[in-house]
Amino acid sequence: MIWLMIFSMAAVVFISRHLLLEPKLPLRLSKNTQTFLSYSAPAVLTAIFSPIVFVQEGKLDLSLDNSYLICAVVATLLAFVTRNTLLTTVLSMGLFFTIH
Amino acid sequence: MFTAALASPLFLGAKMRTEKTIEAEIARTPNSKAKAFLKGTLAMMPLTIAVIPWGILAGSFAIEVGLTPIESQAMSAIIFAGAAQLVALGMVKAGIGLWSILITTLLITSRHLLYAMAMRSQISPLSLKWRLTLGFLLTDELFAIANQGKLHKFDPWYALGGGLSFYLGWNLATLLGIIAGNAIDNLGELGLDFAIAATFIALVVPTVKKPSILVCVLVSLTLAVVCAVLDIQAGLLIAALLGMSAGVLYAKVTGEDKPAPKTNTTAIQAEETL
Repeated sequence: MIWLMIFSMAAVVFISRHLLLEPKLPLRLSKNTQTFLSYSAPAVLTAIFSPIVFVQEGKLDLSLDNSYLICAVVATLLAFVTRNTLLTTVLSMGLFFTIH
Repeated sequence: MFTAALASPLFLGAKMRTEKTIEAEIARTPNSKAKAFLKGTLAMMPLTIAVIPWGILAGSFAIEVGLTPIESQAMSAIIFAGAAQLVALGMVKAGIGLWSILITTLLITSRHLLYAMAMRSQISPLSLKWRLTLGFLLTDELFAIANQGKLHKFDPWYALGGGLSFYLGWNLATLLGIIAGNAIDNLGELGLDFAIAATFIALVVPTVKKPSILVCVLVSLTLAVVCAVLDIQAGLLIAALLGMSAGVLYAKVTGEDKPAPKTNTTAIQAEETL
């Protein structure tokens, strides 16, 4: 079951990465599809990280005790000001492991 | 989803480029290849380091969910998609079936269609061996360092250096996680999952260049949190799809793209016509 999952997931991931690199495939994404997909990265990444930040033990946690939330706010500010992925990641994680 | 294109001048253009690129590839000395490979490795280094905690998490979480060490390593070695792996493991833990896992994987990985689209003019003229290799290695991170636009000449050896070193880093970190997951209990309490949040925030914030993307992010964020609190399993799917739709709708209603018509699509197509 796990192996089936690994190989089928690998197929889905590889096909989506490789499909449009194939020159013999006369496939092109329509403009509407391209526009829709241009929102995919921010939407998907946000949908993955936001529960980690806002939900602790199944409940919405907006308190100052929520170190995930504090550090996520810091990370957002850092990313906004510096536009530097590494700096943002390292500094906010450093802060997190200090206060968590 | 797809529109078939007729054999247009676009494709002829691509073909002429093909021969030129291949010639250039053959004419290169091993030394310049090694240099480009090393340069790619170095350019990727910060991202390779940033992915370490995340890889540790992928390895230890797989063990926690009940995978064997071999299966855990195989996920990183064969699938090689951090977000999809972690989400899938969460779903396995929750006892969710394979089809739901695959549909979610498809959604998470759908952004790669766009990366491939953007790099098509640079990678599709290369040989099958190159296409398969670079296609397999095409991650958010590789796209970030290799797709520098038209000003920089695309170098497959540079991309290979970046992609391969990142692949190694990811797999070594996973191995560390597997070892740690076997040795230490309650690794989850360390809060390694914050690495995911930090990385994704760092990747998402710079993409918010238009109000419609902000709308998309906020809708996705709110719905994902609501779904998580209500324990709705398809939360990721619902939040991401509605977030994307909200962004598209907002752009349509406000006519956001009118002044500079469809920046994204035009850029990608212009590269194709070159």
